[in-house]
Amino acid sequence: MKSRARFSTLRRWLALLWLAGLLVAAGLAPVLPLPYAPDAPDLHAIAVTPLTGQHWLGTDPLGRDVLAQLLFGARTAVLVSLPAAALATLLGTILGSAAGFWSNDNIRIPAVYGLAALGVVAFSFVFQLSSGTSILLLGIIAAGLSLGAARLHRAGYRQVVALPVDRAVLGLGALVASVPLLILALTLAALLQPSPAGLLAVLVATYWPGPARLVRAEVLRIRALPYIEAGRSLGLPDGRLLYRHILPNCWHTISATFPISVATLIGLETTLSFLGVGLPPETASWGRLLASARLAPTAWWLILSPALAILLTTLALRQLSNTVSRNPQ
Amino acid sequence: MGRFLLHRLLRLLPATWAILSIIFLLSRSFSQQQLATGRLADVSSTAHSASGAQRELAERQLRARLGLAEPLFYFSAAPRATAGLAARWQWNGTTNQYHRWLRQLSRAELGFSFRDEQPVTALLQRSLGYTLPLTAGAAACTIGLAWLAAPYLGWPRRRRSALLSALYLLDALPLFVVALLLLLLLANPDMLAWFPAYGLGREDPAASGLAQLQFRLYYLALPILALTLVSLPALIVQLDAALRQELRADYVVTARAKGLPEALVMRRHALRNALLPALTLLTELLPGLVAGSVVVELVYSLPGMGRRLAEAAAAHDYPVLLGGVLLIALVRLVAQVLADVLYFLTDPRIRLSQ
Amino acid sequence: MKRLFLSIGCLFTLAACSTPASTADETVRIRWSRDPENLDPLVLPNPNAYEAINLLHCSLLTVDYTQKKFVPWLAQAMPRVQQQDSLLLVTYQLRPEATWDNGQPVLAQDVAFTLKVMNCPGLPNEAARAQYGFIEAIRLDSLDQRRFTLVLRGRAQELVQSSGDYPILPEYKLDPQGQLRPVALAALRADTARTNPRRSPAVLAFAERYEAAHLNQHPENLPGCGPYTLKEWQPSRYLLLQRKKTWWADRVKNPAPQLVANPTAISYEIIPDDATALLALRRGDIGVYPMVPARDFIQLRQDKAAHNLRFYTADSYDMITAGFNTRRSVLRDAATRQALSYLFDIPGLIQASQQGMAYPSVSLVNPQATAIYNDSLPLLKPDSRQAASLLSNAGWRRDKQGWGRQVGNGPAQRLELTFSYRTGDAAYEAIVLQFRTAAAQLGIPVRPQPLEASLFTKQLRAGETDMFLQLLSGNPFAYNFAPILHSQSLGWGNFTGFGTAASDQLIEAIATEADASRQARMLRKFQRLLRQESPMVVLFFLQYRLAAASNLTNLHATGIRPGYEAAAIRTRPVSPLQP
Repeated sequence: MKSRARFSTLRRWLALLWLAGLLVAAGLAPVLPLPYAPDAPDLHAIAVTPLTGQHWLGTDPLGRDVLAQLLFGARTAVLVSLPAAALATLLGTILGSAAGFWSNDNIRIPAVYGLAALGVVAFSFVFQLSSGTSILLLGIIAAGLSLGAARLHRAGYRQVVALPVDRAVLGLGALVASVPLLILALTLAALLQPSPAGLLAVLVATYWPGPARLVRAEVLRIRALPYIEAGRSLGLPDGRLLYRHILPNCWHTISATFPISVATLIGLETTLSFLGVGLPPETASWGRLLASARLAPTAWWLILSPALAILLTTLALRQLSNTVSRNPQ
Repeated sequence: MGRFLLHRLLRLLPATWAILSIIFLLSRSFSQQQLATGRLADVSSTAHSASGAQRELAERQLRARLGLAEPLFYFSAAPRATAGLAARWQWNGTTNQYHRWLRQLSRAELGFSFRDEQPVTALLQRSLGYTLPLTAGAAACTIGLAWLAAPYLGWPRRRRSALLSALYLLDALPLFVVALLLLLLLANPDMLAWFPAYGLGREDPAASGLAQLQFRLYYLALPILALTLVSLPALIVQLDAALRQELRADYVVTARAKGLPEALVMRRHALRNALLPALTLLTELLPGLVAGSVVVELVYSLPGMGRRLAEAAAAHDYPVLLGGVLLIALVRLVAQVLADVLYFLTDPRIRLSQ
Repeated sequence: MKRLFLSIGCLFTLAACSTPASTADETVRIRWSRDPENLDPLVLPNPNAYEAINLLHCSLLTVDYTQKKFVPWLAQAMPRVQQQDSLLLVTYQLRPEATWDNGQPVLAQDVAFTLKVMNCPGLPNEAARAQYGFIEAIRLDSLDQRRFTLVLRGRAQELVQSSGDYPILPEYKLDPQGQLRPVALAALRADTARTNPRRSPAVLAFAERYEAAHLNQHPENLPGCGPYTLKEWQPSRYLLLQRKKTWWADRVKNPAPQLVANPTAISYEIIPDDATALLALRRGDIGVYPMVPARDFIQLRQDKAAHNLRFYTADSYDMITAGFNTRRSVLRDAATRQALSYLFDIPGLIQASQQGMAYPSVSLVNPQATAIYNDSLPLLKPDSRQAASLLSNAGWRRDKQGWGRQVGNGPAQRLELTFSYRTGDAAYEAIVLQFRTAAAQLGIPVRPQPLEASLFTKQLRAGETDMFLQLLSGNPFAYNFAPILHSQSLGWGNFTGFGTAASDQLIEAIATEADASRQARMLRKFQRLLRQESPMVVLFFLQYRLAAASNLTNLHATGIRPGYEAAAIRTRPVSPLQP
């Protein structure tokens, strides 16, 4: 039992060590004394096997150094893939829990204010707002509408409309998910120049429905449990119920998917970079390194090194998420 | 239950319409110009003798024939106003591409492919015929394997960790690496040439049904294996997380105390409850079955749905693309309803909103 | 559950054991990377469709791959050419042996019918119309049904070859009553040029019949006079062509190579992935693998286990070029463009991206064409010192941030470039990254810009790029640089924006010159001009690589697409196993 505990601690330390190493590599990659730059092809060393020449970990089919690409790829992973996974999970959790908790009929707003807002939006949608006069006009209309709404509300017109949160989230998720990634990528290629920020946005926008659906299902399950009913009858506010009592119980689902989300998002980044939509070609990434193996299927080192990097990162994240979920306090 | 189902299904219609309309307008507005250019690009590089005017005419006529010369929507952006209050839009009437497409859709027609001028429905049907055996086979294998693997998730920590690490390793490999690796190992004259390298062979129409099935299976074995290997990790990891949660529950302790064998506790008790979050995977799985897998279909030369849609996207063949998206969106929405119903059946405590 | 799993396993094993016996026939199996998609002879969206159509139909002239020149096919001999003002009159005589499948002879009337189909409104013939729009009229000979004269607008020599380079369609099949006969070609041409063509009932009926034939997917509805018929086509899987039992050319005594078709069947296998195609070749599933990637080709050639394969290379006319957008203010002067062209490491790039299987050239002319290749110009070598001195000559001054200059009273210019290319090709990426590295060492920031294919074309045509990479396909038959460098092609094929009165005149003179030695002199002059002005840099010409099973001979491996001649291939009987 004791040895097992020690082993577990060791693994936790290893995981921390790897992640710390990753962060250091990400931070220091530009100042490390690397013999080769990640984006400068060495035309005299094309697809060289590791340990045979000047390049320690070999080169890819374009003559770029694998070691340098791995280190700079860590930078990309830390700056793009990890934040993307975190943001997508966060967005998914927020939207999914809201959808599961409030369903379609638990948030209500007074109809008059809704109508007033709608009126302002409709006006600015129909008319051009180029000159000063029309913006002024918009302000007058907005003020008039909200005043009228307040008057009506005071006069006793208390009709409410329910916000269909669940339907909206599911529909939005379906919209995102029903466009094959490839088509989305090609459409975006016509709009955006490849850049890290753009890539981050695309990754988050396409990936959030997965976590959202999982969290929604989990919240649906927990919401029906007796202790939530009890909390409700005690008169606890919705927000407190959701964030104090329901979400902590979803943590194990979220934390189990997070590491695999990172791996998937690196994979997604591979595909996008391959299509020329992801990162600019001079930015190294693990995904790009893996994709370069397509040019030389027999070059095992192009698969082995980035796949190992991805694997170790995933395992380390999983180890940490396990630790956290076991000792939530 | 019946009313609930009907309600949900009826509500799908506007959602599907909205999704399709958005995609239609987005895709066409972004690459209106590029389409015809792409079609005639080959010509303009070889057509040594065509003059600029001739090419311009050809492009205009091609756009007219494909129905792209009309305005896109009922209204389009009005020219920029110089002063005062001006309408943002101008009215185009009903002779527009969207109206035409909608009318076509209401007759259950999806139009004709820009590339080979075939009806889209026939194209999709043919592609589905190739894709469904592949993806359904892979899904069956994945679920079967996950079911078989579930008891091992109750293994002592270290062995379980090793199993999960192996799965994570599998997950770190992109699909094309797995597919190529299988090909280089099992269809290579230098290694083991057990399986065919590509395609579906030439079926012998005179052969018996079983022989034909066997023949098909022989060609589909490697692609199915590749898809199974890639989709297994996510499923098992999800299952494992849910099982961890359930195994701590009281009823499992009771079951164990009764002296039930561990495998039985797993399958009969914990697994059933752990399946609930995994049900959401169904909403991913069913559309995935229809959408096919571009990579596997490319590597193994199968003419399935994934490849068809990818080629259509690359060639800006919008009728085919929209047909594919319609199919996937419909299946996804149906899968969502199905998942909700299954929730209801497995855990009646969940209240379904009408 | 275990039992189920076991039985699935058994089924797989069973399936694996029941390997279908390969039938020992004489079908030649050729790898294609994509489907022909549309086999309508008027559309032909890709080179594969073109290749298939050339086996199903005959044209008046065809290419002899071994001699690399146009030779008569349906025509008895090369046509007689007369010049008349701005027109060329080209007179053809059809072969007396040529017949359709029903035994009727191929006549001048069929050629006239084909031209009308290419110009008939309501048909999917936009591309054909643009390409063959220079054929103004056809004059039938009243005495000889096999004799006719085409009237061509223009004087370029290549028009003569192009005037016979489209499949001739059978009138008896598409228009048995001859309804199109009374309609004049000129009337059809005038009609299609309008936005809303007037259409006579005969033309409308014909367009309907044409559409009803569904030629795009059922080319068997239009049997041509080529040596093969379509036996089976499973889109995206394979295309099987069967040799006609009797083809009209079988009756020709001492047939020329283009009148011989050897394989009894040709099966085009569609395998998109290169690695898979390589395995299929190694296993003998396919016999011919054209356009093998350089890396695979070299590995395979050195592989002892691949002793049952033969390898062919041929110098092609495809070249990868880097273009400068001369309309940009920083690239407007020739010295800057010359300086930048010294940054390409061409020998290194040939080695790196093509494994040495490509060859450099001083200009747009293939160095193999010794008569016209200007060998007195030196090949470009990477030379950053030369580049720097040329930049200073152009008025650029190096400062801390890079290079800048002031031209006249205009705004200060900074030497910063984007380099656009079509995404998806590793060779392009290698070139751009090499250039970027070399430029960075000199202090010039270059931003690579990979673009999706149609977006790339759009930007090129709009002139929105600084530098770009482009694959140009030449041919050994004619020299016409007008589409890529004439100022009239601005916005169409001339993406560099280059073109002066003198260069335009020279390009026109080269295209119309009939005398070979005079043309050679002008071509040498043109190459020198291109080097001086440097609107584009020819990086290298590609080599075509072909691997084939050793029992296939007479492939006519060549540098003209598709790189082999399917109809010429002979199958040697497989020799009995050696002891």
